[in-house]
Amino acid sequence: MWLEDIENNMNNTKIVQASLKKRYAKERRFKAYGIFSISLSLLFLSFLLFDITHKAMPAFTQTYLKLDIDFSYKNLKLKEGSRYSEKELFSASYRQLTSKSLYEIFPEVTNRKDKKVLRNFVSSGAQYNLRDLVIENPSLIGTKKSIWVLADDDIDSFAKGLIDRNLPESERRIKDNQLVWIDTLEADNRIEKRLNIGFLTQGDSREPEQAGIWGAIKGSFFTMLITLILSFPIGVAAAVYLEEFAPKNNWFVDLIEVNINNLAAVPSVVFGILGLAVYINLFGLPRSAPLVGGLVLFLMTLPTIIIATRAAIKSVPPSIREAALGVGASKMQMISHHVLPLAMPGILTGSIIGMAQALGESAPLLMIGMVAFVADIPQGFMDPSTVLPVQIFIWSDSPERAFIALTSAAIVVLLIFLFLMNLLAIILRKKFETRW
Amino acid sequence: MNTQDHISKEYNDELEQLRAKVLNMGGLVEDSFNDATKALLKGKVQLAREASKEDYKINALEVSIDEDCSNMIALRQPAASDLRNIFAVVKIVTDLERMGDESEKIAKFTAELSTNSHSMKFYNSLKSLVQNTREMLSAALDCYARLDAEKALEVLELDNEVDAEFINVNRILTTYLLEDIKNIEDTIKVMWCARSIERVGDHAKNICEYVVYIVKGNDIRHVIDEESRQGREK
Amino acid sequence: MRKGTDVELLQNLGDTVGKPLIDGDSRMSCSKVDVFYNNNNQAIFDISVDLGKNEILAMIGPSGCGKSTLLRCLNRMNDTIEGCKVEGEITLDGIDVYSKNIDPVLLRSNVGMVFQKPNPFPKSIYDNVAYGPRLHGLARNGAELDDLVEESLIKSGLWKETKDRLNKPGTGLSGGQQQRLCIARTIAVKPEVILMDEPTSALDPIATATIEELMYELKSSYTIAVVTHSMQQAARISDRTAYFHLGRLVEVNETNKVFTNPEHELTENYITGRFG
Repeated sequence: MWLEDIENNMNNTKIVQASLKKRYAKERRFKAYGIFSISLSLLFLSFLLFDITHKAMPAFTQTYLKLDIDFSYKNLKLKEGSRYSEKELFSASYRQLTSKSLYEIFPEVTNRKDKKVLRNFVSSGAQYNLRDLVIENPSLIGTKKSIWVLADDDIDSFAKGLIDRNLPESERRIKDNQLVWIDTLEADNRIEKRLNIGFLTQGDSREPEQAGIWGAIKGSFFTMLITLILSFPIGVAAAVYLEEFAPKNNWFVDLIEVNINNLAAVPSVVFGILGLAVYINLFGLPRSAPLVGGLVLFLMTLPTIIIATRAAIKSVPPSIREAALGVGASKMQMISHHVLPLAMPGILTGSIIGMAQALGESAPLLMIGMVAFVADIPQGFMDPSTVLPVQIFIWSDSPERAFIALTSAAIVVLLIFLFLMNLLAIILRKKFETRW
Repeated sequence: MNTQDHISKEYNDELEQLRAKVLNMGGLVEDSFNDATKALLKGKVQLAREASKEDYKINALEVSIDEDCSNMIALRQPAASDLRNIFAVVKIVTDLERMGDESEKIAKFTAELSTNSHSMKFYNSLKSLVQNTREMLSAALDCYARLDAEKALEVLELDNEVDAEFINVNRILTTYLLEDIKNIEDTIKVMWCARSIERVGDHAKNICEYVVYIVKGNDIRHVIDEESRQGREK
Repeated sequence: MRKGTDVELLQNLGDTVGKPLIDGDSRMSCSKVDVFYNNNNQAIFDISVDLGKNEILAMIGPSGCGKSTLLRCLNRMNDTIEGCKVEGEITLDGIDVYSKNIDPVLLRSNVGMVFQKPNPFPKSIYDNVAYGPRLHGLARNGAELDDLVEESLIKSGLWKETKDRLNKPGTGLSGGQQQRLCIARTIAVKPEVILMDEPTSALDPIATATIEELMYELKSSYTIAVVTHSMQQAARISDRTAYFHLGRLVEVNETNKVFTNPEHELTENYITGRFG
């Protein structure tokens, strides 16, 4: 009898052994697929990052020209004297200063057309820089100084190597005579590339050399602030109500739940249309304001926060609730003393992810008018502004060569923000998780 | 008594085995007593010598049953009726073993009796006592086997008869003592045997009390004695 | 004892045998209590039982017999379950605990509960014990609170082991210690009655023995009702034992009587292991 049993066992073992080979082979294949997929994704990701960063490199520097500016009374069209009022300084004529300097460097340029080209070596905004210099330091008047002024975007592009000098002239943006002048200036050490701080401190501009994302950053900030202030408390409170207080088998409550879950999947553009119709047309709020943008994004982020909060609250074990109730806590006390603190990691993670999503939204904000060109830095919630993703969208449309670099640089800045927000989410989650 | 089976089949089997062992022991004791008293009544020395051959089995069973009970208490933590059952078995077994000892004594004394014709008169005096006691013993074991508390209470009453019989026998044997000085040794030995028989009756009564305890949960030991004593005093 | 199958016995069940009610003062009292879930399923049928002062009442019975349900009615924890309806009268010191002007929160500070799985808050040991008193304002200042925490921990036998690490998390203790912490937490609000729902079923034998010893000591100051699956535990620690079967109270008697000579056959069957 026992011999039979031993034989049976051995047969079983053989069968199992035979199947083992197949199983291991399957496992190895599965692992291989996994590794392959991950590698492919990483490849694409690194390709994307590399491409963007590479394209963004030129935007980090800006070309400046050293010109000898003559702050003479004649050039400034000011009366001779020693004290001037702010208004006088403001309305003095700075436009000719750079041109005059250029003509001095290249006295052989006499043709009107050529002269115009030469004048346009300098950025159109340079005069305002000079104005600000004089207002800040009026003692400059009557002196002659070498000033580094912002070069025009064509010169800038050329200096960054974006314009190929070996192309035939008809296909080049920089003409031969310009090449000669540029070479001269370079030989004279009058061309320099500096770190483009203006990118981060200036607002949008038609001229790429003067364009910056500060306006968009501020606009994003105000918009996000409104979104956060509205969606976080309302979202958490709604989730608490639905989880703890709402009657369980009620058709109305179930309807609300289904709606909230569906809202999370609604295309964001729809929220933009809603914002346009209700906030702008019905309530008459100003177009393109961070307030309106925030209100639209709040509607979008709310379902995400509610769903994340509900999941976090559900994960708090009922034993803790019972313990709190058993000691004599009321329902609200149980929720605020025990459930919410324990659910906080999940709530925060969900909120930050929701906010990060909102930060990168452009479609709904386009609908409420943030597509307009806004050059001024917004000061408050009602000022017209734009947000970073929309700014990127607008810039990607512009023809100037330099805007390619600017667009990519702005994308890099946006990615950095998103990365930081996700990092914050991870840190917060880790910090709260250890308490368990 | 609870007729339902335990969920644990093994537990049930253990209790069954215990019961079987006790009944086995009871059977051996019954045989031993019947043989010894038969030898006594017939005056057959040879029979008496053979009667105590199986006694070692009785003692072995006592040890074995006690061990089983101890194990069951430790391993099964019996409660309620099971507890009473096992508790009573430990006691019953003691009484059975004592009965075996008494039977041994009877056989021993019988074997020492000198063979002569006086045995006839002993037979007549002892016949009734032996009969009643044999009945009691058989009935007591029967009550345990069937766990019949009502019957046990009836059997208990039989002990009064046995006691009365014993007093009677004692009186008769005492007169023999005085009359028949020549056979005084034998008479004394017969008196010891009578006493042993009466003792067996007492032990059988104990077994009935334990049966009542198992079934009803009332410990009626000594209560009946007290009542009957008070009854006699009145 | 009556004979018959369990189903027959249950159908023929009359009143609870034994002594479910106490002559004289009882601490808590249930009178003809019925409990329904989702309006139709009846879980408890017409139960009347008293909880005497400074006694331990053990509630035993097979799974699903309603003992935990009844226990949770005593401090209205069943209020948190939707669709649960309680009928009949349950009183604490003569006051109906289900009357409209009784706040369940107040009730629970008088009738505490210890649960099956030790569930200390994820806070420090000190904060665990101090939570209840802080909530109800039982201590007027920090020193009083310290004393209250110390007293509770001493009473629950944890003081020696924790007095040097009161600010360490309560979840860092062993299972038995955690349960003692939960007991300390419960007695810190100075209840009159302590309800325990299988307090040692998740603990090893030594921790169980420690908790049982603790229950015995607490008896002199509190009234305790224990639901337990272990008959040996009920036999060891309780004064009276109540046997539940399918939502009905079959028998209540002194513990030694229940375990040596129970009155009802159903009780006998359960105790001797003749059905689950």
